[in-house]
Amino acid sequence: MRTVIIIAALCALLSPGAQAKDAPPDFSGIWTWFGSGPGRADPTAGWPKEPPFTKEAQEKVAAYRALVAPRGDTPGGHCVGTGMPGSMLGSGGYPMEIIQRPGQITVIYEAHTEIRRIYIGAPQVDPADQVPSRNGYSTGRWQGDTLVVETAFLKEAVDQAAAHSEDAKVVERYRLGKDEKGEKLLTAELTLTDPRFYTRPVTVTKKWRPLANGRMMLYECSEPEWEDHLEALRKEAAPK
Amino acid sequence: MKKPILLLWSALLFGLVLPAAAHHSAAQFNFQTPVSVKGVIKEFRMANPHMRLVLAVEDTKGARDIEFEGHSLNNLYRRGWRKDMVKVGETLTISIAPRKDGGDGGYVLSVKTADGKEF
Repeated sequence: MRTVIIIAALCALLSPGAQAKDAPPDFSGIWTWFGSGPGRADPTAGWPKEPPFTKEAQEKVAAYRALVAPRGDTPGGHCVGTGMPGSMLGSGGYPMEIIQRPGQITVIYEAHTEIRRIYIGAPQVDPADQVPSRNGYSTGRWQGDTLVVETAFLKEAVDQAAAHSEDAKVVERYRLGKDEKGEKLLTAELTLTDPRFYTRPVTVTKKWRPLANGRMMLYECSEPEWEDHLEALRKEAAPK
Repeated sequence: MKKPILLLWSALLFGLVLPAAAHHSAAQFNFQTPVSVKGVIKEFRMANPHMRLVLAVEDTKGARDIEFEGHSLNNLYRRGWRKDMVKVGETLTISIAPRKDGGDGGYVLSVKTADGKEF
């Protein structure tokens, strides 16, 4: 009898229900946008069409756009990911995977396989040791059921709608909820603060729902160029 | 034409409309006036960031090979494309957003194979 009681107590302790009392919500899963399916625009994350750019930002963005306009070049066309905050705001057309563990939340955006690691409770990194990058460096903390993510050390980027300088700071607030049909919904409010590029912070809201088949795909972008290169080598090596 | 406009917006938003070899955007295509094209498949490559298709076409301008581009492997898989659905030598009917400059080619919006499969 005693054995049965001990096993029952252990089961209760280890059950998801028991853990959930103190544990933060689990965002793990494959998420797609709140819109109407793959390849469709997402109505929930509209970056302002005319952002409150400073003069410096206006000039840099205009120069970039004039440069790429004749051929319509974009980072994606050259197999380069969008970078934050565009990688987050654009996710869903291609799904986003969240892998959650206590010390780190990993976010994988399928398009261009952009990966963000959100460190929770990790020691601070000396700014002198940081290297600015397109998705920056993210730390997270829990405020009740809300995950607050702060991202900095971003490379200056004029090649996305949410253009920003190296001084940009992004704060995201993620929470789980349900839509009007009672289905699972992930919502994030994102605020970009960047006094060099923006006259005021810009805040947008983004929503995702679970992807029906729950499966990410590989996004191998530069493979065609590699295959073309191999084909050229074969032709070169062929007997004349 | 709600669907083509949404596809264009998606394409512009993500910069996904760019064939690896050409690196240009969807701005050159007219998504407001889709047209139908029928031809024999000479080349088909399903890839990211774009699929590439060459059709042997014969119309009032004569017989020639025309190159088209379209959405990514991942997006088209989710819209119904599967391996071996499109085979070289078979006839294909496609709906495209034509080039704004009136030249041959365009952005593939939908595909119908000879045996009636669509994506």
